[in-house]
Amino acid sequence: MDDQLRNEEQNGTSRRSFLKQTSLMTALALAPETVLKAAESGLDEKIAAAIETMPLNVVINGVKQSVRIEPRVTLLDLLRERLQLTGTKKGCDHGQCGACTVHIDGERVNACLTLALTTEGREVTTIEGLAHGDELHPMQEAFLEHDGFQCGYCTPGQIMSAICCIREGHAGTPDEVREYMSGNICRCGAYSNIVDAIMDVKQGGKKI
Amino acid sequence: MKQFSYVRVTSSDAAIAAVSKDKSATFLAGGTNLVDLMKSGVTGPERLVDINRLPLTKIEATKTGLHIGALAKNTTVAEHPLVIKHFPLLSLALKAGASPQLRNMATVGGNMMQRTRCHYFYDTAMPCNKRNPGSGCGAIGGFNRMHAIFGASDKCIAVHPSDMCVALTALDAVVTVRGPKGERTIPFGDFHRLPGDTPEVDNTLQRGELITAVDIPFNEVAGHAHYLKVRDRASYAFALVSVGAALSLKDNNISDVRLAMGGVAHKPWRLKEAEAFLKGKKATVDNFQEAARIVMGPAKSQGSNEFKLTLAPNTIVEALKLAAANGNI
Amino acid sequence: MGTDKKSEPLNRVDGRAKVTGKAKYFAEFEVPGLTYAVMVTSTITRGTIATIDTKNAERAPGVLAVYTHLNMPAIPGWADQPNSNAKLPSGGEKYRMLGSNKILFNGQPIALVVANTLERAQYAASLVTASYNKTEHQTDLLKNTQKAAMPGRFGDYTRGEQKEAYKTAPVTIAADYTIPVEVHNPMELAGILAIWEGEDQLKVYAKTQGVKATQRTLAGAFKIPEKNVQVHSEFVGGGFGMGLRTWPQEVAVAAAARQLKKPVKLVMTRQQMFSLVGHRPYTVQHISMGADKDGQLQGIYHEATAETASYDDFTEGTVAMTRFMYACPNVTTKYRIVPLDRGVPIWMRGPGEATGAFALESAIDEMAYKVNMDPLDFRVKNFAETDPEKNKPFSSNNLKEAYQLGSEKIGWNKRDRTPGSMKDGEWLVGYGMSTGVFGAHRGESTCRAQLNADGTLILQSATSDIGPGTSTAMVQIAHEVTGLSINKIRFELGDASLPPSGSQGGSATVSSVGSAVFDTCTALKALLAEAGLAFEEGTVKPVTGKTATMQQVLATQNKTFFEVTKSSKGGAEQDKYSMYSFSIHFAEVRVHPHTGVVRVKRVVTVADSGRIVSPKTAASQMIGGVTGGIGMALTEEAVIDHRFGRFVNNNLGDYHVPVSADVPHIETIFIDKPDPYSNPMGSKGMGEIALIGFSAAVANAVYHATGKRIRELPITPDKILSA
Ligand SMILES: Cc1cc2nc3c(=O)[nH]c(=O)nc-3n(C[C@H](O)[C@H](O)[C@H](O)COP(=O)(O)OP(=O)(O)OC[C@H]3O[C@@H](n4cnc5c(N)ncnc54)[C@H](O)[C@@H]3O)c2cc1C
Ligand code: SF4
Ligand code: FES
Ligand code: FES
Repeated sequence: MDDQLRNEEQNGTSRRSFLKQTSLMTALALAPETVLKAAESGLDEKIAAAIETMPLNVVINGVKQSVRIEPRVTLLDLLRERLQLTGTKKGCDHGQCGACTVHIDGERVNACLTLALTTEGREVTTIEGLAHGDELHPMQEAFLEHDGFQCGYCTPGQIMSAICCIREGHAGTPDEVREYMSGNICRCGAYSNIVDAIMDVKQGGKKI
Repeated sequence: MKQFSYVRVTSSDAAIAAVSKDKSATFLAGGTNLVDLMKSGVTGPERLVDINRLPLTKIEATKTGLHIGALAKNTTVAEHPLVIKHFPLLSLALKAGASPQLRNMATVGGNMMQRTRCHYFYDTAMPCNKRNPGSGCGAIGGFNRMHAIFGASDKCIAVHPSDMCVALTALDAVVTVRGPKGERTIPFGDFHRLPGDTPEVDNTLQRGELITAVDIPFNEVAGHAHYLKVRDRASYAFALVSVGAALSLKDNNISDVRLAMGGVAHKPWRLKEAEAFLKGKKATVDNFQEAARIVMGPAKSQGSNEFKLTLAPNTIVEALKLAAANGNI
Repeated sequence: MGTDKKSEPLNRVDGRAKVTGKAKYFAEFEVPGLTYAVMVTSTITRGTIATIDTKNAERAPGVLAVYTHLNMPAIPGWADQPNSNAKLPSGGEKYRMLGSNKILFNGQPIALVVANTLERAQYAASLVTASYNKTEHQTDLLKNTQKAAMPGRFGDYTRGEQKEAYKTAPVTIAADYTIPVEVHNPMELAGILAIWEGEDQLKVYAKTQGVKATQRTLAGAFKIPEKNVQVHSEFVGGGFGMGLRTWPQEVAVAAAARQLKKPVKLVMTRQQMFSLVGHRPYTVQHISMGADKDGQLQGIYHEATAETASYDDFTEGTVAMTRFMYACPNVTTKYRIVPLDRGVPIWMRGPGEATGAFALESAIDEMAYKVNMDPLDFRVKNFAETDPEKNKPFSSNNLKEAYQLGSEKIGWNKRDRTPGSMKDGEWLVGYGMSTGVFGAHRGESTCRAQLNADGTLILQSATSDIGPGTSTAMVQIAHEVTGLSINKIRFELGDASLPPSGSQGGSATVSSVGSAVFDTCTALKALLAEAGLAFEEGTVKPVTGKTATMQQVLATQNKTFFEVTKSSKGGAEQDKYSMYSFSIHFAEVRVHPHTGVVRVKRVVTVADSGRIVSPKTAASQMIGGVTGGIGMALTEEAVIDHRFGRFVNNNLGDYHVPVSADVPHIETIFIDKPDPYSNPMGSKGMGEIALIGFSAAVANAVYHATGKRIRELPITPDKILSA
């Protein structure tokens, strides 16, 4: 038997056992037997996709997104792997680095620990949503000016976090900024320039 | 992560019903601990009941104290004017925890329920009685620098990682929970438990029970509060040892005092003997040291956490000194 | 260039892409039909896989393949090479990912799962189970010192008396120093995206510090011509050394992609990065030192013993600095490696020198106190005017000026030198200093210049930018040579099909690639001159007496652009002089005597690294190095539980990289004087010296604050309390 055939055959049985072991059934009006029959007759891919995924409506950077996703998909993976919004970074996937910082309804959160479905009806802003055309957000401008980065990988998270740091009223002194920016790790070590950039924006007094 | 189903509920009853009838279901609040544990393979619920939209986010004064909804975010609580005014210790403890982003996600209920950060618990390739009862405790005889010096058992030496809970236990908070059998209250000090022979059980919450609120009675110790957290880096790290101290001082006489420690036991560790000793005494370094000495009696090192036997009493003294000196925050 | 003229601080030319999220790192390219690879790793440290069960994984939804040692497609270039390391101290077997059932270290991949979505691949990977035949493992260096062997590359060194002169000197000190495993942990997760565009045409998006090196490795592994391997790596989210190798799992992913005929992407987990992309090796050192009563060094003995893998021979210049840094008549250094059942180390920022400098510069401080001298005066007294190891003059050495500038800035002479004498409230105050040094290397590099009819200049070289700002520095060099406006110059890198350059490592990029840019632009000027053209006022104009514009000249020559390609490398001067970059670090710390907490309050760091080509990005290199140094000094340690041979803090929550609150304002000072011999710009490297030595400045400051000498990094509260 060639490889491809064997794969398909295995997937057939697997689908069936997968459906059997999952308790998804209870969540749905579908009788398990019907589904298992469908699995046998090869209709399972579609059914599986239907029962394994759920609809999500969320506004991202002002654009309404309606997608179907598995409940286990995180906001971070939704952005990076499905919506091609790769500006939001993955540095740890466990809430330990801040690279994935985005705003949900204006507040900074870690997208890697946010299940995408929990954002139903919310507004998400990512680094891609900051600039107006060619005009950079003042915080982006300040990072550029103060060289608040090196490799640039933590930068989107830093900038999203920095904006909230000011909005929340935690940019009173450089030490306060240091504390309230400590949820964003920069391995290149650009911190002291980042603090300067934030103090600069804060003192500039522009609405951010 | 394995597949699971997801339901969003809007009433506590629906939430409780959903979880109590399904052994493999669990509540999802901020997700900062649960999603992490699911990704690490430590836990694998088949059904998540999203409680984020329950109307349990209120923070309001009652006749006797402050009522905080279980779904209030850690940031909201920490920044709330009533919290800052009446319970500065709680605000300080919350701000010492995690990061601003995580505090925006984490809820009061979730914070209480967060599980230990013991490395062996997180690594499914390691033995751990808490994760896998009967498999042994990897931390005993291993890398246990972060582990307990009080109340540990030969089954588990993990610590409860929360900062918020240190303040809540010191402040005599009361937890309200609702389950299939109705509502009950649990004094904060009885909420978490020691590991004993069943380290897999972190607390006294029953299956299907939902934490709905925490109530803190008004007190006299808001004037002098300090939360001192000693950790391996300046921020965004769990405590080696933390101490929450709050005092009521009149002419340097201690009329009331609250003292609790984090990072030292399987539960937030209230220091009642120290409180009893200090009450009615002068706020002096000598008295602080004696208070610390009294509570360190039963402390026991596990090996790499030997330093906590020195660090813990020192931190108690420093926290009391800072609380006494601080006036208010 | 090569003059005393200072360069202008310039914003990064690729900064806009980075602050808007448009910069694309390897994992971010949209590829039709993309599939996802996830690795399953071993839970034992040494032994063999008895059984491996992949059935459930194979049957899970969306799974395309599960590779193990039983069905891994052969990698032709690996199969060719003998599977033994007889030449290595270990004499062990080579590590071939999924090549056999042998387990050589904990966390070694035992399966590679490929599925059509990330979540499905992750889930399927969790379904793979294995049973093992365990054999005894050795991961503890201290218990295996009997295996210590002298590696071929770093032999023993002695200058002066063979007998241990330091022992007979009037004043002596001797102590041991320990550096734990440190992990690079660039913020970007490691991995690769591999696409086969035909049977022998491979394209990868990689996280690498050397696109040419990756190209060579992959071409060798698949036995296809180098030109058939396209390597793209324009943006790299940090490397710090881990990107200096193309790791076995990256090759394995390419092999999977070839067999599946689908693009495959692997993004490793942070946990996996602790075992599979190298680390700074655990190293124990002994230093003995002897001096006269008046502080003249008599002898230094420095011995370092570091871990390596059982299957690979990793070495670095740990004891190099001791050989030449100070004018000392008798010096002996020894360097040994111990094979252990662990993943192989790789150079980490400031490689061995950072490890060695911690020991040497701590010992220098201790000796200064012992002879009752200021540590700065002690260093000046023992200053080496010429390189005592190579017996050559330094190409440039402005250390004395650096000592002076730095000490003035931090207020060194205003402090009370007595340990434990200075306080700020409850906190003890301490000042410490140290020196860092790293070879000023220059490799061969090629650059192509294309001057277009519209007056834009495109420069190309197959180099990388892992963060230092390579493009920015290159544009700046081209601007200074040609006078063309900055916004008309573009530098292209991170693509193996561009003219060849070395990997980005050892602080050599500006020196090597910059020289190629310099030479290419100089040649371009000559070419233009022949055509009656010259760079003037930021653009290209006819020279006096000529009228034909560039466009006209190009038209008559039937061209659309001028083109020059030049290779460049150092000449005889490289042998005549001893070339080093130097740094001086000053740190002011606070130590809490009762909680043991140490905070770095102020830092002044001075670099003597020749002429500064790009002041803004160079300053960032310095603050970045210092930040890494703070981590090395105070927070970073990867711990192995030797009972299991497994890391117990392999994540960013438990392995503490410094956060913003750990890092104070950092003042950087550049001597900014051209080195007459290093290269046409007069520059010397800077990425490594920024970190090298910094940990000793902190340890010395802790001593000044407390009177406690901590010789084991990191200096965490427990060490202060128990010292
Ligand atoms: C990197 C990192 C660093 C951290 N540092 C700190 C720190 O320094 N100090 C500190 O204190 N904490 C720290 N935390 C932990 C953090 O505070 C907790 O993860 C958080 O408080 C959990 O709240 P949550 O709402 O996100 O809970 P979830 O993750 O949603 O839930 C956790 C558990 O509680 C249960 N649960 C949630 N709400 C209820 C309810 N109302 N009733 C019954 N059960 C419920 C859930 O079923 C789940 O089992 C850190 C976390 C991370 C990831
Ligand atoms: S201390 Fe507790 S949580 Fe940690 S390994 Fe032992 S049993 Fe598990
Ligand atoms: S990727 Fe989310 S915090 Fe690191
Ligand atoms: S810029 Fe590289 S990690 Fe911050």
